[in-house]
Amino acid sequence: MAELQGLGAALSDAERAGVEIVALSPDPNEHSQKLAEGLRLGYKFVSDRDLAVTRRYGLVHPHGGSEGQDVPRPATIVLDRDGVVRWFSVTDNFQVRPDPGDVLRAVRAL
Amino acid sequence: MASARLAALSLGVAFGGIAAYVLLFRIAAVRNHPTIYVAAFAVATALAVLALVRARRWPAWVALGLSVVLLAAGSWFNFVMARVPTTPSVLRVGERPPDFTLPDASGRPVTLADYRGKKPVVLVFYRGAW
Repeated sequence: MAELQGLGAALSDAERAGVEIVALSPDPNEHSQKLAEGLRLGYKFVSDRDLAVTRRYGLVHPHGGSEGQDVPRPATIVLDRDGVVRWFSVTDNFQVRPDPGDVLRAVRAL
Repeated sequence: MASARLAALSLGVAFGGIAAYVLLFRIAAVRNHPTIYVAAFAVATALAVLALVRARRWPAWVALGLSVVLLAAGSWFNFVMARVPTTPSVLRVGERPPDFTLPDASGRPVTLADYRGKKPVVLVFYRGAW
């Protein structure tokens, strides 16, 4: 969760400028809700329980979970007002996430 | 330097590396360079070997045993387990990604295309809070 907190903190002023941060995970909704409230960040948490959307994006790490289940590849995608991809980052090591500063720069460059 | 001192230094580097990585995990520059802890374990192993060369006493053996185990476990975690295999992604800069509708935290449907013409969107795919 550290990367979400970092991103939320870095983007808080950009948020006021009207950026929507949509966080997708296979987590159940109740859990995401608690998470969102705990972090008090302007995130929209959506649940991709069966990873159908994650799969369509080509972002599934097969058998990458602690119990051998499929999990998402951590990725961050910046879309402009027209819904076009302007910047994205897909990690090749799940410990490594994009620097919130890089995401912020991509958002500010829109 | 005396063997026991080198052994203590080895343990200090190994556990200091772990502590620093855990404590500074929130800082992107630290989190995004996990090889830091692998390097710390390698330095600790080298110091333990040096301690053994000086004198074959138990503190040096303890330091060597611990640092070798940490180096092996840390390398395996960082270079093998944490690797995410490359999969063909549909993402292209300048193109629209697939649309989707998914339930938000209160069960209301969120459709990506609804933001079109209104707001830029940052999509964050994450593994969940496990």
